[in-house]
Parts: sequence; C-alpha cells; structure tokens
Amino acid sequence: MWRVLVVEDDPLMREFFAGSVSHCDALQLIAAVGSVAEARTWLSRDASAVDVLLIDLGLPDGSGLEVIRLAIALNPVCEPLVISMFGDEDNVLASIEAGALGYIHKDSTPDDIAQTIMDMRKGASPISPMIARRVLFKYRFNESNKAVAPVDIAQIAIKNIADAAMATDTADSQSVLSPREHEVLSLIARGFSYGEIARLQGLTVHTVQTHIKKLYGKLSVHSKSEAVFEATRMGLLGIR
Amino acid sequence: MSFNVYLPLRFWRQAQWRLVLLLVSLAQMTHATTLELHQAQAVVTVQGQTSRGEVSLPYHWDVHQRGLAGEATFELLFDLPEVPTVPFGLYVPRLGNAYEIWLNGVLLQRNGDLKRYNGPDYAKEPRFVEVEPDILRTDGNVFRVRIRADVGRRGGLAALKLGPEDEVYPLYASNFRWRSTGSQVIVILSLLIGLMALALWATQFDMAAPGQNQRDPLYLYAGLAELCWAVSVSDAVIENPPISWPWWGLLAFFSVSAWMVAMILFCAEVAGWSRLPAATWLRRWLMLVLVVSVAAGIGSLVYGEPLAMTLTYATLGLTALVFAVLVVVKSARGASMSHKIMAISLLFNALVGLRDLYVFRISPVYGSNTWLRYSSVLFGLTLGYIVLARFRTASAQVRDSLENLANEVKKKELELAQAYAGAERAARQQERSAERTRILRDMHDGVGAHISTAIRQLQSGKASDEEVLHTMRDSLDQLKMSIDAMNLPPGDVTALLANLRYRLEPRFKASDVDLQWDVDWIPPLVRLDDRAMRHLQFMVYEALSNVLQHAHAKTLLIEATPVLPFARIRVIDNGRGFDVTQPSRRGIRTMRDRATAVGATISFHSSPGHTVVEILIPVTV
Repeated sequence: MWRVLVVEDDPLMREFFAGSVSHCDALQLIAAVGSVAEARTWLSRDASAVDVLLIDLGLPDGSGLEVIRLAIALNPVCEPLVISMFGDEDNVLASIEAGALGYIHKDSTPDDIAQTIMDMRKGASPISPMIARRVLFKYRFNESNKAVAPVDIAQIAIKNIADAAMATDTADSQSVLSPREHEVLSLIARGFSYGEIARLQGLTVHTVQTHIKKLYGKLSVHSKSEAVFEATRMGLLGIR
Repeated sequence: MSFNVYLPLRFWRQAQWRLVLLLVSLAQMTHATTLELHQAQAVVTVQGQTSRGEVSLPYHWDVHQRGLAGEATFELLFDLPEVPTVPFGLYVPRLGNAYEIWLNGVLLQRNGDLKRYNGPDYAKEPRFVEVEPDILRTDGNVFRVRIRADVGRRGGLAALKLGPEDEVYPLYASNFRWRSTGSQVIVILSLLIGLMALALWATQFDMAAPGQNQRDPLYLYAGLAELCWAVSVSDAVIENPPISWPWWGLLAFFSVSAWMVAMILFCAEVAGWSRLPAATWLRRWLMLVLVVSVAAGIGSLVYGEPLAMTLTYATLGLTALVFAVLVVVKSARGASMSHKIMAISLLFNALVGLRDLYVFRISPVYGSNTWLRYSSVLFGLTLGYIVLARFRTASAQVRDSLENLANEVKKKELELAQAYAGAERAARQQERSAERTRILRDMHDGVGAHISTAIRQLQSGKASDEEVLHTMRDSLDQLKMSIDAMNLPPGDVTALLANLRYRLEPRFKASDVDLQWDVDWIPPLVRLDDRAMRHLQFMVYEALSNVLQHAHAKTLLIEATPVLPFARIRVIDNGRGFDVTQPSRRGIRTMRDRATAVGATISFHSSPGHTVVEILIPVTV
C-alpha cells in the first residue's frame, strides 16, 4: 500500500484526485492539501510517511517545484508525480529536473490516474515524444558544445572540480545518456510506443520503462550538478 | 671742503657743477682733432652762367638753384695743428648727385659722371674716405669738391667732417646704417608684406559680405600700399635706377602718393567705413589727389617747381591727419582692437609724415633722414594683427561648426536609434499580432467550435452524455495540439506525427483499431513555418479522426517517408471507404484548402477495404 499526498489548489480537481486515489485499493490517501505552505507543513511533520507526491505546479502561494525539491530532500525515495493540464514540455522538463518521476494529465480518467501512479511505482515513467526530443536535443547540444566551443580553460578546471565534488552521489555526469537510452529516446521521439520499441530493440517493455525512469533520475541529478557548476562559475560556492 | 660740513646743499651744487665741467672737457677731448668744415668758396655754373661766392655748408642745390641743373666746385681751406700720425678719415653725410673729392691736389674719391645730367645718382649714401696722413700738412690744406646736381634730386654738399678714422668712421657707419641698411630692410619687409597681402586678397573670400563670395579689398589696399612703399623707399638705395631721372623720381613720388591713398583706404576698410556714403567722397577725393600728384611730380621734377610736390604731400598728409583724427575719435568711443591699433598707426604716421614734410620740403636741412619709412612698419604690424585676429576668429568658427556638426551627428544618431527601436517595436508588435491572429483562429476553429457544439448538444437535450463528453475531449485535444504546435520545431514532420500519436493514444486505445506505425525520420522541411505545421497537424488529425469515427476499420497504418522531392505522409485503413467525389464529406474540402495553403497536395483514394489519404509536401522551397 502506497501512501499518497495530493497537492492541488482547485477544490474540484483536488476532490477528483483524492477520490481517484482513495478508490484504488493499492493506494492510501494520507492528505489532500491546496497550497505550498500546507504541503510544507505536512512534509516537515513526517516526510517518510509520503511515498507518492501528486502535485500541481501552479499553486496560489508558490510553485509545486519547491514542494518537489523539499520532498526529495526530506525523503529521497518519495516519488513525485506532477499534475499537468497540457503535458507541455517546458513544465514537464522543469518538473523532471526538480525530481519528478512522471506526470499526469488533468483530463485523465480516475482509473488512468491510479494506473499511472501504480505504473510509476513499478518503474514506468511516461515520456512524450516532444519531451524525448527535447532531452535528446539538449544533451546532444551540450555534447557538441563541449567538442567545438573554445571553452575557457579556467571554466573547464572549475567544472572538473565541481564534477569531482558531485562524484560521490552521481554517475559520470559528462555522459548523461547511455547509447541505449539515446536509441530509446530517439524512437520515442519518432512516435514509437514502448511495445514497438521493445520489439525493435529486442527488449522487454519493462526494460524500456526502466530506462526511462532511470533517465528521469539522471536528468534530475544532472540538473543539480549543472546548478552546482553554474553556482561555482558565478562564485556562489567556495570551490577553488 | 671744510665749509661743506655744515652746508650739504652747497656741497651738492658744487658736485653738480664739477660733473658738468667734466663732461664738457670729455667732449672737447673727443672732438679735439675732428674738424667740421662749414665754409667754402663756391663756383657754381648753371645754364652757362658762372657765379662765385662764399657759401656755408650744407649747400642744398634744390634750395639755392631751384628748378635748375648745374655744376659747382667748392673749395674748403683748413689748417691743422700738426701733421697727423694716425690714419684720418673724411665723412660727408651727403653730396652729389655726381662728385669728385680732391685734397691738396690728390683725388680722394669720384662717383658718377660730372657731365651726364640725370644719370646715376650718388647722393643717396653718406660717404667716407680714408685720408693718408702724408697728404695732409699743417697749413693751407684745400678740399676741392666738384659736384653735378640734377633738378629736384636733393643734390648739393653737406658739411665735411675730417678727423682720425676711429672717430669719424662711427659717425659715417651710424648714418649709413639708418639710411641704407635700414632702407633695404624696409624695402624687403614691404615687398614681403605686400606680396603676402596680395596673396591673401587672391585666395581669401569674405564670407560675411552679402551676395556671393567676394574678395576682401582690405588685403588689396594693404598689398598695393606696401608694394608702392617698397618702390618709394627703394629710391633711397638704388643709385642707378632702371629708368632715367626724372621719370624714376616721378615714379618714386607717385608711389608715395599711392601708398598714402591705399593706406587711407585700407584704414577705411578696417574701420568698416567703406560702405558709408562719405567713403565714396573720400575715394573720389583721394583719386583726384592721386591724379594731381602726377601733374605735381612733373611740375616739380621736370619743370622745377618743387612747391607742387610739397603741396601734394601736404594735401595728402592733412587728409591723412583729418582721417586719423576721425578714426581715433571713433576708437575712443569703443571699437575693435584692430580698429584701435590701426588708429594709433595712422595717427602716428600722419604726424611723422608731417614732420618729414617740414624737414625735407620746408626747412633747409640737408642730409637728414626720413622717419616715415620706419614708422610705416606700424601699418605692416596692423595688417599682421588683423590677419591673425581673422584667422583666430575663423578657426574658432570652424571649431564651433565642427562642434555643431558633431552635435548634429549625435542627434541624428539618437534619432536613428530611436527610429530603429521604433521599427523594431513595430516589427515585434506585428509579430505578436500575427501570432495572436493565429492563436485566435486556432481557438475559433478548434476549442471554440467544439465548445459551441457541446453547448448546442446540451441545449438540444438530444445528445447523450457520451457525445457531449466526446466533444469536450476533442476540444481539450485541440487545445493541447495548439500548444504543441507552438513548441513543434519548425518543419519537423516526424515530431509532428509522433506528437499527434501521443495525443491521440487514449483514443486509439479506446477503439478496436490496430495501429501500425511506420514513420521514418524526415529531415526538417524549411518551407513549413508555424502556420504550415498547424495546417498539417489539422490535416493529419482530420484524416485520423475520420478513420476512428467513421471507417469501422480494423487496421490503421500511418506512414511517413521521404520520397524525393517530397515528404510523403499516408494514412491507410481497411475500413468501409467513402465517396471521394463528394467534396463536402468529412472535411475533405477543408483539408484540400489547408494543403493548398502550405503548398502541399492531398489526394484521396478509397474503395471498400482500402482507403488512402496521401499528403505530399515538396522538400525544397
């Protein structure tokens, strides 16, 4: 039984999501709140009591991204799931980088919602072709940038130090995408379903899903290391 | 001296008296041996008539023999206290026009031909002759000086000074310096200033003058004046003039007149009076005097009436004086610095000129020097100041103009930047407005149309909940696709199709259709902009909707592949098909319109069990 915290400011939607969770036997609704402050209060009281955080991004007193970061910080095994109206790539990507492991459409059916939560817990994170494409583009762009741009040597040195500092809790952040992940992402970007990808690549659907979920984690960590790098570069951290 | 202890005043008077005595005795010692010979026995021959008599020197021929040429022999007797042992020298301030100097029967110096009247003039320079002591004796020494004198040429004989060379020579040298060297300097200076002024006249234009650019007469008058002055002063140093006397004399005299006239006109220009009505009268008067001066010169030098020349000088001098007084009065009432300097020059020269007139033309002084030739330098300095002041003003104006120009340029740049910013704002505005138009159209065609349909369905009461829900879902799908279209990379057909599939996934799941996906990667098509992508999205969406809603198909194949020079998209189903000849059906017309709008072609082939909707998009522009 997984414990779910719902954070959604619209009472109707909140009720709908709370209802969807409650109706599923495998899920337990621990609370449904409507603001960042309330969510903070809940999390600071007992973050380990939350397995799944179902959260809207546009909250009246702040962004759901803050809550996601807090939840992960307090309880790293907590799995945030973002409620998105459109599943548009800017918001979704920001959520992933904040630590979300999936997103759910507001117009989904109650069953879909429970199913998505269950799938995610089992290791399946959804990803749209647009987002796949964006991830591909972003990290390919980064790679080519490294190869071509005449980067300031001091910056490289700083980045190396920053990377070394991060090395304790992250895999090699230089290569975010493994070749397999790259291939899977490419196929998703071309519109193939997980099943079709599994067939084409000779994998199980589960493996494909795992790849995606791992990718989510990587993107989140990478975004953190990028933040460290940026902070170092801007002189905000005392790394020399 | 003992008396003086209590009489300091007396002591002082005595000291003064002793000083005077000392100076007098020193002077006597200096000139103890230098003789100045004033008395002479003269034999003068004029027009064949010879007369004899005692004369005292200086003998100014033009005064004694007015208007006549002739020759004279002067005999001067003198004794010496002893035969000198040191070299002696004879200094004669002026003699000529041609002369011979004999001492005790020995010819000391000869210059010119005593018979050649109106020939070269040797009366211009002071003369110094070394005298060997052995020619001299104590008693009965005789100087015999023979001269030839032309009419009006300042011939004659000045007093002779004889003495030790080291005493006499400095007297000669000083006179020579002032008369000859000084005059040469003045001639050269006047020539230079005159030519410079003429060059300025030729090259500089008076911008302030009304009408078109005009040369400034100020420079012309100054230039002519200085050149005339150079000619007239050169008479003092040229012994052998290029044209014969009296014409040379006439030229020199005319040059002086012209100099004065030009200088007065120059001063009138400096004073800024040249445009006054009175200036016309002044010019006429000066021209008249100039013409008269020619006649006066002829009368004086050819016909021997020196008074004519004197009167001409006097007339010009007085004109200058009156003019100078006016100029001085004006400058006292506040005038420019140029005007003041000019006023001082003019007044000073007028006074000096009148002094020279008295000394040379009225008093019997012979062998003196004119001062005017030196004082005239003031005019050159005045001109120099004016030119400098003008150039300073001009460069200040240029600086001002440059500053103004720089400011103008800065202002224009600012305006340009503003205009550019304005244009950019307008362009952005236009872009925003085009974007807004597109979104509005999307909302109208998509969400708006669906919501209206839903409202109608609910109002009619005939539609089932399922139908209304379907409409609303459609509406949300349209909205999502609108947003996706904004984020779709331009020209990326593959991404467009993938996204469409992702959005329609719930519907595919809900239907029984077996979806087959055969989408190759197609390089982005440059010709497809945001608007075209949206059209294409609509077309494919429409085709898929038709299959899902109406075809009752079992399988649906979506193909995309580059078939050069096209990118080909095909939607193939095995449903019941439809009549492609009925254009109103299933939004076929709309799809055709959209295809046309993006430069693509859409074709429909349908038979029961096999329907193909094919979209061909040219790859190149």
